[in-house]
Amino acid sequence: MSVLSKIIADSASKSPWIYHINTGSCNGCDIELVAVLTPRYDAERFGFKLTGSPRHADIVVVSGPITTQSEERLKRTLEQVPEPKCVVSLGSCPQSGNVFKGSYSIEGPLEKYVHVDVTVAGCTPKPEAVIEGLYKAAGILKKKREAMKK
Amino acid sequence: MIVLTTILQILIFPGFLFASFIGLLLAGIDRKVLARMQHRIGPPIIQPMYDFFKLCGKETIVPAAANRHVYMLAPWASLCSLIVMCLFIPVGGLTFFSGNADLIIIIYLLTIPAVCLIIGGSSSGSPYAAVGISREMVTMIAYELPLIIVFLAIARVVGRGELVFSIKTVAEYQIANGALVSHIALIPAAIAFLLIIPAEVGTQPFDTAEAETEICEGPLVEYSGKPLALFKLNSSLKMFIMSALFTTLFIGVVYTGNVIADVVIFVAICCLVTIICMTLVHAVTARLKIEHLFKFYWTVVAGIALVSLILVWAGL
Repeated sequence: MSVLSKIIADSASKSPWIYHINTGSCNGCDIELVAVLTPRYDAERFGFKLTGSPRHADIVVVSGPITTQSEERLKRTLEQVPEPKCVVSLGSCPQSGNVFKGSYSIEGPLEKYVHVDVTVAGCTPKPEAVIEGLYKAAGILKKKREAMKK
Repeated sequence: MIVLTTILQILIFPGFLFASFIGLLLAGIDRKVLARMQHRIGPPIIQPMYDFFKLCGKETIVPAAANRHVYMLAPWASLCSLIVMCLFIPVGGLTFFSGNADLIIIIYLLTIPAVCLIIGGSSSGSPYAAVGISREMVTMIAYELPLIIVFLAIARVVGRGELVFSIKTVAEYQIANGALVSHIALIPAAIAFLLIIPAEVGTQPFDTAEAETEICEGPLVEYSGKPLALFKLNSSLKMFIMSALFTTLFIGVVYTGNVIADVVIFVAICCLVTIICMTLVHAVTARLKIEHLFKFYWTVVAGIALVSLILVWAGL
C-alpha cells in the first residue's frame, strides 16, 4: 500500500489542474495566466491543465481585489474544491487591494477568506513568474497529499 | 483451472491491466504528438497515468442533489463493459471469447459506456450535466447508424453472400484474402469507421458533449476523485478499443510466429490509427455544434458507409 500511496503523492505534484476565478480583476492577470498555457510558455509540459469545474481542480488561482459582488462566489467556489488543494493569489490585487485599496466595494485581501499557499505579486506578473508560482504550488500539493494520508 | 485462467484474462492480459496501460499510453501519445504539432514541448507520455493516480488520491465529493448509488456505480458499470469488450478483440491474434455473433455483442457493449455517462451525469443533478447528456444522446444516435452500416458491409463480405457477424470469420477471411482495407468495396467503409472513432471516443471536433470550455465537461462536471479517475480511464480505454477494433476489422493481425512480437505490432498499428484519426483531426479542427455533428454523421459518414454497402451488395 505504501508504494501506491507514494505513487499517488508523486502524481499529485505532476498533474496539477488549475481552476481560475476572477474576483473583479482588470483582466490583465487573466490574460497573463492564459499566456502561460499558450505554445510559447507551454505550462502543459509540467502537466498543468485549465479545468472548467472547481470539482476537477487542484490549484485555485484567484485574481482581482475581491469585490463585494464576488465575495460570496469566491467563498462558494473555494468550498467546492476537493482536498488536497492549493490557493494561488495572482497579481497584487488579491494580496493588498493594489490601486483599488480603500474603495467602498473592495472586501479583500484574500487572506481573510482562505490560507494562501503561493502569492505571485506584480501588476501584472510576468508569465515566467506565474509559471514559477504554479510550479511551487504543485510541490505544496504533494506535501498536502502526504499529510492527508497521516 | 478454467475459472482461474478466465479471471487472469479479465484482470491482466487482454483485460484490465493490459488494456488500461495501453489505453493510457495511447492517450499520452495523443497529447504529446498534438503538442509537437502545435510547436509545444508537451506533457510527458505517461501524463495520463499521473492524472489517473492523482485523481485516485483526491477527495470524492458527492453533491447533495445526487443519487449516491447511481452516481458512484455508473463509472464502474462503464469500466466492466469496456473490459468485456477487450476480451472479444483478438489482441495480436490471441482470441479469448469468441462466438458466432460477437460483432453484434460489440455493438451493444459500445453503447454501454455512453449510457453510463448519461446515467451518471443525470444523477449528479447539475444543469451543465443536463446539457451534456442531451448532447451525448444525440452524438450516440448520430454515430450508431453509420457504425451499423459498416458492420453490415463487413459481415456480407466475410460471409461470402451471407451475413456473418463473427470476428473469428473476419480474421480467417483476412488471412486467406489479405486485409479488408484493400478490398475495393470496403475502402469507403474503412474511411467511415475512421470518422466514427473520434465521435465514439469523444475527441475534438466531436467532443460537443464534454465541451470543457463551454459546459465544463458536461456530464462530468460534478465528478471528483475516484469516479472521475475511472471516467478518464474509460475514455482512454475507449481510445484503445476503437483503434483495436479498426485494426482487427480492416487490417487484421500480422503473424510473425512470436506472440509478443504480434502483440507489439498490433499495439503499434493501434497507435498509428489513433494518431491519424484522432490527433491529426484534433490539431486542425475546432469543436462542432451538436446539430452540425448530427448532420455530418447522418449525411456524409452514413453516405460513405452506404456506398460501401451498395458496392458489397452489388457483388464488387
